Amino acid sequence: MTDRITHEMVTSSLLSNLNTSLASLERTGEELSSGRTILEPSDNPYGAGQIIDLQSQLDGLTSYASATQDGISWTNTASSALSSINNVVARVRELLVQAANGTNNQGDLNTVAQEVEQLTESVKQDANTQYAGQYVFSGTATTTAPYQPGANDEYQANNETVSRAIGPGATVTVSSAISTLLGNGEASGDGKLLDTLRTIVKNLRGGTAEDREALGTTDLTNIDNNTETLRQLQAVAGSVTDQLQTALARNEDMQTSISESLSNTQDTNMAEVSVAYSTEQAAYQAALRASATIVQESLLNFLQ
Amino acid sequence: MSIPTLQGLQTALSGLLAEQQALDVTGSNITNSDTEGYTRETADLQTNLPITIPATNSITGRGAQLGTGVSVGNIARVRNSYLDAQYRTQNSALSNASTQAEVLSQAQTAFNEPSSAGIASQLSTFWSAWTSLADSPTSEAGQAAKDAVVADGKQLATTFNQLSAQLSTIASQAKEQFTSLTGHGGEVEDYANQIAQLNHQIKLAEEAGQQPNNMLDRRDLLLDKLSSLANITVAEQPDHTDTVTFGDAAKPLVEGSTVNWPQALTEKAGGQLGALLGLTGPKGALTAIQTSLDGVAETLATTVNEHLSKPFFSGNTAATLAVAVTSKEVSASTGEAEGGNEAALNIAALRGGAAEQDYAGLIGQVGSEVRSAKDDETNLQTTVTAINDQRQAVSGVSLDEEMTSLITFQRGYQASARTLTAMDQMLETLIEHTGTAGL
Repeated sequence: MTDRITHEMVTSSLLSNLNTSLASLERTGEELSSGRTILEPSDNPYGAGQIIDLQSQLDGLTSYASATQDGISWTNTASSALSSINNVVARVRELLVQAANGTNNQGDLNTVAQEVEQLTESVKQDANTQYAGQYVFSGTATTTAPYQPGANDEYQANNETVSRAIGPGATVTVSSAISTLLGNGEASGDGKLLDTLRTIVKNLRGGTAEDREALGTTDLTNIDNNTETLRQLQAVAGSVTDQLQTALARNEDMQTSISESLSNTQDTNMAEVSVAYSTEQAAYQAALRASATIVQESLLNFLQ
Repeated sequence: MSIPTLQGLQTALSGLLAEQQALDVTGSNITNSDTEGYTRETADLQTNLPITIPATNSITGRGAQLGTGVSVGNIARVRNSYLDAQYRTQNSALSNASTQAEVLSQAQTAFNEPSSAGIASQLSTFWSAWTSLADSPTSEAGQAAKDAVVADGKQLATTFNQLSAQLSTIASQAKEQFTSLTGHGGEVEDYANQIAQLNHQIKLAEEAGQQPNNMLDRRDLLLDKLSSLANITVAEQPDHTDTVTFGDAAKPLVEGSTVNWPQALTEKAGGQLGALLGLTGPKGALTAIQTSLDGVAETLATTVNEHLSKPFFSGNTAATLAVAVTSKEVSASTGEAEGGNEAALNIAALRGGAAEQDYAGLIGQVGSEVRSAKDDETNLQTTVTAINDQRQAVSGVSLDEEMTSLITFQRGYQASARTLTAMDQMLETLIEHTGTAGL
């Protein structure tokens, strides 16, 4: 039945083959110029879903990295404030030991009391440290300063925690509970740092034997207890910083590996596709040349 | 017993006439070699009735028959109706697959994935905006972050709205296309009317003993075209009219010179019309895509809103999804303190969650459907081309063959003319050289 080959059969089959060749050449060219193997979901339905997933993971890592950086800056701000408080406490302890040795007259003690009062203010200032417009020691009430300057020593903010997202479903608490260290001042009699500092000032100025006695005993003990609490806060802040830095390093590793997976899924293998392109180009040219020759062949050419 | 003196001239003349007619047929084939739907014709040459010469042989007494030349008995169309039926079946399937591939490709293009402008990318940006808001949740320092959350949310909602509208447009265009093809003055009616008219004319011509090759070609071409709209079957009746069933319509579309249209069709009609009905039907692919997209929008709205005291999104379909809050009203926390960020953290943790997975699934589904429709199209195209080649092998005009026929018939004509000359010379001998006695 296929013994008869008509002119139209020849031209239509040549044309359809040329179209197929050209279409695949165009497709390969598109892959080369866009650098992508998956231009539409139908090119690779599974791969297209994977690209969406991987791209989202990668975007997520970028945003977690910036949140982690933000957390590190936050805890660094808090740590340096705590260090500064630590220096103050050490200075107060030094003054206390000097004041308690009994050779000082009341005038000397009053001078010391003045310095301790100033140091108390600086502790409150440290507690009011801000990072990016947020009070770092205010729990979630980050727009409220935790302590007011002056006589009122009461903690103004709340004890909620503030967290940063460091990875998919993973958060780290970056806030420090400063009120466990500073407390609510003398009025509350909670024995915390502000109460202790105010009591020390009172004892320095008091002038009685009990006052002098207290300087070397209860006041010193209270300062030491508060130093211990402070060390614990510092340790927590330090460990949070470590945790964030580890997360950041891990995040970078993950970014590298996911970028690689993404690239394997969606990017053109340039070497491979370039070779394919050259091959297809050669094939297309050969087909064109052959078609041009075959189409011209006819018995007509040979009849006189 | 003798034979008529001038019989030889008549025989030679019949040769001249027959060869000339065959040359005409060849000429017609050559000129129509590129005409759509043309079926090559052949002149069937037949021997003329012989003259019986009784008892020429004096010994056996047996007579003989003397040939009186040739004539064209019939100008035949060379066509195989079995291949026609096969072609039409596969052509319906091809047209069905290519319609599906075309419409689904449009839907796929509307999704614009994978790209930085698609929903997937905007969803990702939206989650990142919530992470940023968790870093600075207060109204003073975090206003920029709140603005970003609302702007990204609006962009995302708008993209959902636009995509939904595009999908609706694609579906309504498919419905419009169906209506215009099947409606009054549409292609179905037009083809059916032409076929019915040709049926009528062919019947008359056949009754008059003519061979309406030209009309038969036109009818076959119309049937080929009709087959791309829906499945058809063609039954040739004894009176040479074609009865044509169309898709799953209850009555035949064309019966003799009668047209039964409009009739109801379903997606089982096959061809382009079946595909259009199937895609836009309640269980069709376009409807399913729209429903899945609505599902993604609803999941997104629900999962985000459940972490907030004031709903962020309103609407529960892709078309109605919208941001319900201003950037001043956005809060990173359900608590009263401004610095709380647990809600923002919870929402940021939705990255990679149900909405995103459903969406990625939908993209995979659309991709698979387009791919399978395109694969079907490619395969059927190959089949249709092969069958068409077979048809062409039977019915197509081969110029090489026609050229050969041209020479054959030309030589035949020349030879008949030479026979005529020989007869003439023979008669000349008789007339000029034998009758001198009376001069």
